[in-house]
Amino acid sequence: MVLRELGAPPTKGVVRSTGVPRELRRRRTVLALVILASFTLITLDARRSPSSPIDPLRNAAASVFGPLESGATSAVEPVNGLRDRFAEMDRLVAENQRLTEENAALNGQLRSAEYARQRAAELDRLLKVAGLGGYTVAPARVIGIGAAQTFTRTVTIDAGTADGVRADMTVLNGDGLVGRVVRATEGTATVLLLTDAGSTVGGRLERTMSLGFLSGRGQVGSGAVLDFALVDVRAQPKPGDRLVTWGSRGSAPYVAGVPIGEVISVGAFQGTFGSTAVVRPYVDASRLDTVGVVVGPPARDPRDAVLPPRQGR
Amino acid sequence: MRTLRAAVAGVVLVLAVTLQVSALPHIAIAGVTCDLALIVVVGFGLARGPEFGALTGFAGGLLLDLVPPADHTAGRWALALALAGYLAGLLRREGATPVGPGQVGLSVVLCTSLAHLAFAGTGALLRDPSADAGEVVTRLGVAIGYDVLAAMVVVPLVMWGIGRFGTAQDRRRLTGGASL
Repeated sequence: MVLRELGAPPTKGVVRSTGVPRELRRRRTVLALVILASFTLITLDARRSPSSPIDPLRNAAASVFGPLESGATSAVEPVNGLRDRFAEMDRLVAENQRLTEENAALNGQLRSAEYARQRAAELDRLLKVAGLGGYTVAPARVIGIGAAQTFTRTVTIDAGTADGVRADMTVLNGDGLVGRVVRATEGTATVLLLTDAGSTVGGRLERTMSLGFLSGRGQVGSGAVLDFALVDVRAQPKPGDRLVTWGSRGSAPYVAGVPIGEVISVGAFQGTFGSTAVVRPYVDASRLDTVGVVVGPPARDPRDAVLPPRQGR
Repeated sequence: MRTLRAAVAGVVLVLAVTLQVSALPHIAIAGVTCDLALIVVVGFGLARGPEFGALTGFAGGLLLDLVPPADHTAGRWALALALAGYLAGLLRREGATPVGPGQVGLSVVLCTSLAHLAFAGTGALLRDPSADAGEVVTRLGVAIGYDVLAAMVVVPLVMWGIGRFGTAQDRRRLTGGASL
């Protein structure tokens, strides 16, 4: 009621015909209330502390929308599979010549089976990485993807606390490191990708074992790269050098020894903080599907045992 | 009628948000996903005026803030979409003529700009993961183009749908052009 009385009287020039002041006031009240409500929410949530009063709402939203997102993702699978086929055309043409015999056998397979088969292969590679590194991995599928206009690079996966997933766990796939879990509800979890501008990972150069920090640039698409700042002043990275995580204390948020990417160019020498380099991650964040969450870290650091064989790349 | 309308608007918003976070990112342009929830809110605003636009905008934005994979401060999209819905409602009132493709396009351009700038603005204030101005403008440009295209199909559908849940009195009130 107070707000209603506060409503400013219609001024000349704003109202062109004989306005209904009551309706105008009501409208302004609604706008004022809605803006107030938004700012209240922002204020309540701005601290981003683990006990934010908005978190129960987030959990409720996740439990309702998790199944919805999951369903919608399954519904668009055929379309998605089609897109993947187009994108990989170039590579497949070269491969086709070597694989003519196998292709003959593949032709007999149903088109709809292709997507499922691809996912099975991905899962297979994921398990192989998990086996090499000694990780215990909970498999999951990406069911929601954050839009570029929010300026955060996050995805939703369909595994949650019910599968043993907690915040600050490492997420990887068959190619390497994907990111870390920032929030988990019973059935879903939110993953912050490596390429997010707020993501920083400790990386170790495979060749020299020198340490440094990788941070994302918030880029989207398959060309996204990471900035690598070496801690060691004397270390000299070279293009083609490969990086693995060096692991955080207590294996959270990052376990040690997960492949991250390859150095593609080396920056100018930068005073006290050593060299910088640009790194292309092994994982293409725009084409994520099956991922694994490391729910049990390895007993000892596998170092670079999980890196792909050099000839293969 | 009123409760029914709110329920229908709620279902449409839930549907739009679900599609926006799960299905639409697969057909994103340069990473920018079509703002389906925003377009739906613009449709509501155009169909039923600023109050309805602001309220549905708040609700839709709140969903975008809470539903995973959102990882920003809650309330930012709520504010942005509420402002956009209100603006859409005002645009409709000014004209008070049947909404044509031109007006839909213009409304979406204005509302998308307002919503994205409000979102980027609160991000800058809160030091949430935010980007530099150039990036904001680039992504806004892509988003406007994408949203206008989508709105040409979605807005008429939404307006027709919600129009079926309005009384004759409402229609007189809205089309009479009695105020602002």
